[in-house]
Amino acid sequence: SVPQNLAKELMKPKVWDHKYVEFDFLINGQFLRMPLVTHMEMENISTEEVVEIEYVEKYMAPQPEECIFHDDWISSVQATEEWILTGCYDQTARIWSLEGKSIMTIAGHTEVVKDVAWVKQDSLSCLLLSASMDQTVLLWEWNVEKNKVKALHCCRGHAGSVDSIAVDCTRTKFCSGSWDKMLKIWSAVPTDEEDEMEEAANRPRKKQKTEQLGLTRTPLATLSGHTEAVSSVLWSDTEEICSASWDHTIKLWDAETGDLKSTLTGNKVFNSVSYSPLCRRLASGSTDRHIRLWDPRSKDGSLVLLSLTSHTGWVTSVKWSPTHEHQLISGSLDNIVKLWDTRSCKAPLYDLAAHEDKVLCVDWTEAGLLLSGGADNKLYCYRYPATASDVGA
Amino acid sequence: PVGLASDPSWSHPRCPDDPLHLWGSVIALPASAIPVHPSPALCCPGCRQRVCLDRGMDITQLSYPFPPFLPPPRHPGVHLLETVSPALTPLPSAPLQDIRNTVGNIPMEWYQDFPHIGYNLEGKKIYKPIRNKDELDMFLEKMENPDYWRTVQDKMTGADIKLTDEQVDLVHRLQKGQFGDVHFNPYEPAVDFFTHEVMIHPVTNRPADKRSFIPSLIEKEKVSKLVHAIKMGWIKPRKPKDDTPTYYDLWAHEDPNSILGRHKMHVPAPKMKLPGHEESYNPPPEYLLSEEEVRGAWEQQEPAERKLNFVPQQYRCLRAVPAYSRFIHERFERCLDLYLCPRQRKMRVNVDPEDLIPKLPKPRDLQPFPTTQALVYRGHTSLVRCLSISPSGQWLVSGSDDCTVRFWEVCTARCMKTLPVGGVVKSVAWNPNPTICLVAICVDQSVLLVNPCLGDKLLYGATDQLLESYAAPEEERVQPVQWVTATIEEHSKGVRLVVQHSKAVKQVTWHGKGDYFASVVSDNSNMQVLIHQTSKRWSQNPFRKSKGLVQCVLFHPIRPYFFVATQRYVRVYNLLKQELTKKLMTNCKWVSSMAIHPGGDNIICGSYDSKLAWFDLDLSTRPYQLLRHHKKALRSVAFHKHYPLFASGSDDGTVIVCHGMVYNDLLQNPLLVPVKVLKGHAMTLDLGVLDVLFHPTQPWVFSSGADGTVRLYT
Repeated sequence: SVPQNLAKELMKPKVWDHKYVEFDFLINGQFLRMPLVTHMEMENISTEEVVEIEYVEKYMAPQPEECIFHDDWISSVQATEEWILTGCYDQTARIWSLEGKSIMTIAGHTEVVKDVAWVKQDSLSCLLLSASMDQTVLLWEWNVEKNKVKALHCCRGHAGSVDSIAVDCTRTKFCSGSWDKMLKIWSAVPTDEEDEMEEAANRPRKKQKTEQLGLTRTPLATLSGHTEAVSSVLWSDTEEICSASWDHTIKLWDAETGDLKSTLTGNKVFNSVSYSPLCRRLASGSTDRHIRLWDPRSKDGSLVLLSLTSHTGWVTSVKWSPTHEHQLISGSLDNIVKLWDTRSCKAPLYDLAAHEDKVLCVDWTEAGLLLSGGADNKLYCYRYPATASDVGA
Repeated sequence: PVGLASDPSWSHPRCPDDPLHLWGSVIALPASAIPVHPSPALCCPGCRQRVCLDRGMDITQLSYPFPPFLPPPRHPGVHLLETVSPALTPLPSAPLQDIRNTVGNIPMEWYQDFPHIGYNLEGKKIYKPIRNKDELDMFLEKMENPDYWRTVQDKMTGADIKLTDEQVDLVHRLQKGQFGDVHFNPYEPAVDFFTHEVMIHPVTNRPADKRSFIPSLIEKEKVSKLVHAIKMGWIKPRKPKDDTPTYYDLWAHEDPNSILGRHKMHVPAPKMKLPGHEESYNPPPEYLLSEEEVRGAWEQQEPAERKLNFVPQQYRCLRAVPAYSRFIHERFERCLDLYLCPRQRKMRVNVDPEDLIPKLPKPRDLQPFPTTQALVYRGHTSLVRCLSISPSGQWLVSGSDDCTVRFWEVCTARCMKTLPVGGVVKSVAWNPNPTICLVAICVDQSVLLVNPCLGDKLLYGATDQLLESYAAPEEERVQPVQWVTATIEEHSKGVRLVVQHSKAVKQVTWHGKGDYFASVVSDNSNMQVLIHQTSKRWSQNPFRKSKGLVQCVLFHPIRPYFFVATQRYVRVYNLLKQELTKKLMTNCKWVSSMAIHPGGDNIICGSYDSKLAWFDLDLSTRPYQLLRHHKKALRSVAFHKHYPLFASGSDDGTVIVCHGMVYNDLLQNPLLVPVKVLKGHAMTLDLGVLDVLFHPTQPWVFSSGADGTVRLYT
């Protein structure tokens, strides 16, 4: 009986060896999305030449994980490995666990919160930022254990709605862009003393506010040069700031000296910009249907490398993958979040059509979590599995 | 003794005395010298030797070089005069000459003065024969000597020689041009050695040369040289001959206005009608008119209507026919017809109708302009009548029939504030001054001044302070309206001041500086238009008389002008001089709306009869162009502040965006090109778009519709 059992064991099909795997094919670096003949015709590839075919394991569709309900429109989102921070039009910022549990509601702004950012995360306390239409940026300290939040600093100086903030990689500074056409650089290090303000006239009123919202902080530097509202800022390097504006330009600034380094000129209002250190490209979303990729180092400003077109409305938000040099995510006013691979610029990899209203913000964490929030008060989370073997032969 | 020089080369015959001398050309000797020198001679120009030729000799042969060792052509009559001897036989060779005188062939005149005439072979002098005959002796001898005619003198010896009969015959024959030899027959029958007919046997049986059947190297070399030359382009092949005959249009360059050109327009003279029986002096009786016909019909008719311009009459004979009274008149008419004919000629010009349409640039060259709908601002529950935008372009305000005013964030379509006002909102206007945050809203009989508290905190705080800093004047002034400060409840909603009119207000508009605003009241009196000053809370009525139903009013963006649109006219008033400057005729039945170009020199008017009139104020008081693009009544028109764009919204639910470029050059007309029809609004209650508005900085256009939405097109 023993040999029989052994034979049975051997006869069993080894399913784990023959896992069904789907592949995607790349012809000269472009995804094959149609019959080979039409693709060759479209791309003007001669049939006489040797064509380089690459194949990769097909990227799996993002798996929906959570749907987090808010009370109002979600203006911004930023997630870490443990928590999700969202800014909301009900004048609060909220912290959620990855499972969708509400951990903390941070109230303090008197207007819509337009952008949020993490500064530092510890197991004990975290530093985070929220920018609002009430022209201030608040630096909060969140005590994780006690689950208490405290406004450390109130950054005043903007004369318009603060639409975008970005923390630099040393986590000691941050930059804010506002409707008043200015970029301001602030210190992100909490201190005990209040910064000196110029005017002493209405001191009592200010005292009153600082009691509630922490110490007033003034900017380290102000970068002016845009002629219209600044819609998006980011640090593309340790000492380089990139800002997108309604004046149809993306400007690169030296954060140390405050000088304008270069200008990329488009022909539409820019809503959002994102930088990938992996491929060193800027992706911009503007008030037309296109996502455009730029080389920030090119000197002749107006060079668009590629445009990704599939949305039917304004692209409100773009975000590069932090782990993959070809992939990015975009949200648009046409209620759809799209996952793109730059090697397939005609069609996105996946459409994430869960939102019922305008998508206002997207985020992509290093752990492979895709987040999108919109005007339907919902924050959707997707798990994007990284394929085992990234690139085939 | 002519020994032709033994020159080995075949060249000219050489002089026997001096081989370096060549014989010269053939010279003709005078015919009178025939007895002595009867024929042409060859003369050596160097030593003056002469060869006389017999006439029978073929001179053409002599003029060619002939081989030196051959004897001269063996023509029978060639004699050399020096060798004239009694024997008269041709000398077989030169050494056998009879040389009695050794002086040679020299002119004998040289010895004229000597007693001798030369030297003989022994070297003795040859003495001239004694010639003592005088003229008489000569004459006598001529008379008596029967041989005198045949006696010649030998120049070399001076002796008289009597020619023999043979010699005389020879001279005679030569004179006649015959051959010297009697027996020579020049007319012997010709024998053809080679017949012209092709024979079956070859003339010679020699086999063909090798070179006749191998390709010739020389020819090959020549051909290759030619080929090379053709290749190098040194030789051009001959142009192929053009076989087509060439004609010349003699009249191609003729001036059509010249006299000849006018002949082209020749019109043949119309032929006159030939006379018929009526014109006859004795017409058949059926052609004659009766008395009644003459009286009744013919005389009553107009001369132009008459079938005949005369009355046919019968005469006894041709002689009895009187002179035709209308002859000169008719001839004059005929001449007039002929020479005025060209005036009647119609000159037809062939013009392609396409050429008459002005060339407009393509719309895509005129970008940017709004093309697609980007955002929909939803929230109103009834038709949205009016729109206005903050000077920064961040906020939009809309007034609706659902008795609310809503404030929107432009870039996200988020409704930031809703202000219930308790009445239908007819018009809203955001203060154009960027340092003042104030919105004027027309509700029923009042104008509300609302601080929306949006944007910069400092700004809207300063606006409140500005309004609160008003100090009422000491003496009360009579005003057409009442200025009321808002109640606390209203104040919390944002309302700061209420300007209460006596009747319903239908429009409000701000002056560019943001202190004055004008309101239009639905009224028939002179109280229709009021101008208010916010800082002093003071209102005035600028017009004494009503000029018609005022539709809308407008402040000039730069100069102190005020535009008042009534149903058919737009009146331009100068506010400083307080007088009427211009009156624009709109050519429309009912003006609905009006907008002014930011430059201030151009105005567009929309009308309910679906026309849009563009006025160039510098050009004329009539429309520069009337655009009829909409199918239904226009409700609203708008200009962009920076881009050369204007838009019109209509009851047909569309917004039409046009490119309206105004040039600084006064001589260049504005360029108006319709670029885009924007659709999106649903038709509700037969109404479509109620208001259009441009974004202050971007090429975007907002439209509000009867379906309760506001739409943004980018």
